[in-house]
Amino acid sequence: MVSTPNAIVEAKAVEFYYTGEETSASPALSGINLAVKQGEYVALIGPNGSGKTTLLKLFNALLTPHTGEVMVEGISTDCEEKISQVRRMCGMIFQNPDNQLVATTVEEDIAFGLENLALPSGIIRQRVDDAARLLDLEGLLRQPPHLLSGGEKQRVAIAGVLAMEPRCILMDEPTSMLDPAGRREVNATVRDLNNSRGLAVIHVTHFPEEAAAADRVVVLSEGRIVGQGPPEEILTDLEMLHKLGLQGPTAVELAAMLREDGYPLAPQLLNSRELVDSICSLERKS
Amino acid sequence: MFIGTEKLTHTYMSGTPYAKEALRNITFSFEKGDFALIIGPSGSGKSTLIQHLNGLLRPSSGRVFFDHEAIGSDKHKLLQIRRRIGLVFQMPEEQFFSETVFDEIAFAPRNLGLEERLVRNRVNDALHKVDLDAGTFAGRHPFQLSAGQKRLVAIAAVLSLEPEVLILDEPTAGLDSAGRRTLFNLLTNLNRNERLTVIISTHHLDEVAALAGPVLVLKDGRLVMNGLAADIFIRRSELDELGLALPPVTEIMHNLFEAGLPVNMAVYSLTGAKEEIMKLKRRRD
Repeated sequence: MVSTPNAIVEAKAVEFYYTGEETSASPALSGINLAVKQGEYVALIGPNGSGKTTLLKLFNALLTPHTGEVMVEGISTDCEEKISQVRRMCGMIFQNPDNQLVATTVEEDIAFGLENLALPSGIIRQRVDDAARLLDLEGLLRQPPHLLSGGEKQRVAIAGVLAMEPRCILMDEPTSMLDPAGRREVNATVRDLNNSRGLAVIHVTHFPEEAAAADRVVVLSEGRIVGQGPPEEILTDLEMLHKLGLQGPTAVELAAMLREDGYPLAPQLLNSRELVDSICSLERKS
Repeated sequence: MFIGTEKLTHTYMSGTPYAKEALRNITFSFEKGDFALIIGPSGSGKSTLIQHLNGLLRPSSGRVFFDHEAIGSDKHKLLQIRRRIGLVFQMPEEQFFSETVFDEIAFAPRNLGLEERLVRNRVNDALHKVDLDAGTFAGRHPFQLSAGQKRLVAIAAVLSLEPEVLILDEPTAGLDSAGRRTLFNLLTNLNRNERLTVIISTHHLDEVAALAGPVLVLKDGRLVMNGLAADIFIRRSELDELGLALPPVTEIMHNLFEAGLPVNMAVYSLTGAKEEIMKLKRRRD
């Protein structure tokens, strides 16, 4: 199988069954071909149970495919002796930061993965401080993680992953337990790391507004990729989204309802600002 | 006062270096049959407050009321109160421990000492209330369910005690939009048809704003707003300062209004927004 140039992570003809379901007619994933390049921000959407989390776990070598291959920086995740290298390059952020924070202070938590690599303590200190600075956690280093806000905890989890100097961050609904301010904080932080350090990002989300900020949106349904493209293409295809029980961004949904009733709006409005501007200019003209 | 608090204050780890005042001087009340919201940023005290409402936490000072009586420390009475006020925690399906959906839901009624025939009735009723077919689901392993179905089973497990009040802590976290719609339709029906008092603590207002009656807004353990949804959701700049976001559709209406268009801002549904904007067009035509 030929690899996609510049791919940080790549799934090639992947099929995956959970144990005990090998004979089932519907594998958890099948026919998955997906490559994510350096610096690319991919949103992964789909109904509950469509295989989004399973796919993330394959990229992180928490699971390995039954057929096909998953490559991380050219290394197959099947290669047992290189699993820790794969996991270092592809860090995972889970939905609930409480499931991911292990130490009694923020700095120990960020250092946890590094200590397991048996790095010299000077280097660990350096990397912890760098990660803390990037995520604006310097003032919290000696705090116990459980006393932080949800957004702060999720930033600590990201710092712990970042300290491992990964090439790709896999995020499984990282904002679903956070308040709107925490959501904004985490989304802005990750987008910033993606821009400034060329980190590839795969972001599983149920919020269409979050998917709209990605470079590419990939849609999963029943274990298959059923659509992908830029957000203005995928997230405005309401017929496809609704068929899967998904919704488009609010502005797209509202624009479609207005057009149906004869309100003249342009076809590819994606966000609220575009919608508000269009309505204002139409109403002011008269 | 059906359910509420009077000058409730709660301090965690009181007397240690980590002592933290989680709630200060909270006074409010909800009536029977209300569909109420408790909103506020993470760490504002929402979960602490709702754990007082069914006696899981005890006030450091002040009082909690249910059915016109202060909740005391009498163990027998507390047990009664916890039956009448059901609490659904965040991510409740993480606490599943039974082999089948039936056993999961039957756990609480069995603990009441009901005979198995009555337990079966309770389980079937509870599944019916969350719109899951008992024949299809009762025998399944909880892990064979979708995320949305798991959440419904967790709610059924609380409904099996036939509570008068159902409190849900961030009930839609991790659900897709179809799952969120199903859940809210169901809660609306239980509230209207069975007169179940529903109290939801959340920071996602998208689907729930249109359903809300009374709303409490918490910030740093203090009650900063207390009123009806229509009066609270009009205060966008204050909510924004608290780090709370109105439903996106309401945001759009606020932005249109601020741009000088004569639209009603108290709109929480797509249909409502469409009608407001079509009014502009009709007037223009």
